[in-house]
Amino acid sequence: MAQHDKAVAVACTQWEEDLVLHYYGELRGSERTAVEDHVRGCEPCRFYLKELESILPLTVKPDEPPQAFWDNYSREMRRKLTEVKERKSWWQSLALFFQPWAIPVSATAAVAVLALTLTLGKGFWGSKEIPQDDQAFMEILPAAENLEFFKTMEVLDAMDFLEDMGSPVKGSA
Amino acid sequence: MQPGDEDLVALARNGDHKAFEELVERHKQKAYRIAFDFARDREEAKDLSQEAFLRAYSHLGNFDGRSGFYTWFYRILVNVCLDYKRRKKRTFAEEFNEAVENQVEPSQVSQKPPSPDQQVLARQLSRKIGAALEALPPKQRTAFILKNNQGLSIKEIAEMMQTAEGTVKVHLHRAVTALRQSLAEFA
Ligand SMILES: [Zn+2]
Repeated sequence: MAQHDKAVAVACTQWEEDLVLHYYGELRGSERTAVEDHVRGCEPCRFYLKELESILPLTVKPDEPPQAFWDNYSREMRRKLTEVKERKSWWQSLALFFQPWAIPVSATAAVAVLALTLTLGKGFWGSKEIPQDDQAFMEILPAAENLEFFKTMEVLDAMDFLEDMGSPVKGSA
Repeated sequence: MQPGDEDLVALARNGDHKAFEELVERHKQKAYRIAFDFARDREEAKDLSQEAFLRAYSHLGNFDGRSGFYTWFYRILVNVCLDYKRRKKRTFAEEFNEAVENQVEPSQVSQKPPSPDQQVLARQLSRKIGAALEALPPKQRTAFILKNNQGLSIKEIAEMMQTAEGTVKVHLHRAVTALRQSLAEFA
């Protein structure tokens, strides 16, 4: 196949980024005029622009789902949202149980046990503070949820590192 | 008068379930389309966009209104798509290649029924494009898809990626350079 030997068009290095922006209609005023003036007098850059026009539209994969797809999408979404809502209210009621006003009631027994432990088992905990189990438990769920969220929100931020590790074609311009 | 996105967010935060459903209705097609540009598969695009809606719903409390709902939500969506690609990195290329081999778009090749030669070329092209996009570093892929496929402005992309416009331009340029090199034979 002769096509495989086709070389990429080489534009003037200092104009390349502007040619890409020009292709996407991102240049205005004098910037745009400058690129257009240059392209008129520079065959390699003209060829480069032509190549962008022929290659880049090919990268978009068309997809037109039928109406049934959208109906199903909305139905599924409503179901999933209801599930999340139910989960949320379950955890909320659990959290309510551990609200400060509920603690005296629920922790009465715990205090008694604690007092006994401190009295009988002095030294068992060493110099450490008594762990605040209730509070720690209350924080685990939302914290875990947020951690997951922020982990994903940081994906973009972590990409500099990944990019440094390696695109074989990067930095060629 | 129709409530704005931010009004619906406020209602949803106060427990109005229907308000969030309305947000989904407003944004589902655009969200799906972006997810499809990343996944290039209908079912996966549906799952990813729905996942993004669910995360947004669960974290409405994190929406501080500094950017519009649109920007905030699409940032979550892009992250969901990138995260998914990261997790599936090892297997995605093979799956994608199989998928596109079974899914050549005649509209991209010709309006007439394609000849066997054209079919071979179209399959080669689909494979190449999938692999070339897959090989782009995530930030380049994001900038490229949002510009090339979604037609967002550099300013909008910068806001969504929470970076400078100049950085988006660099990502876009690098992505285009890489794609040109991979796809030159089809120019
Ligand atoms: Zn030139």
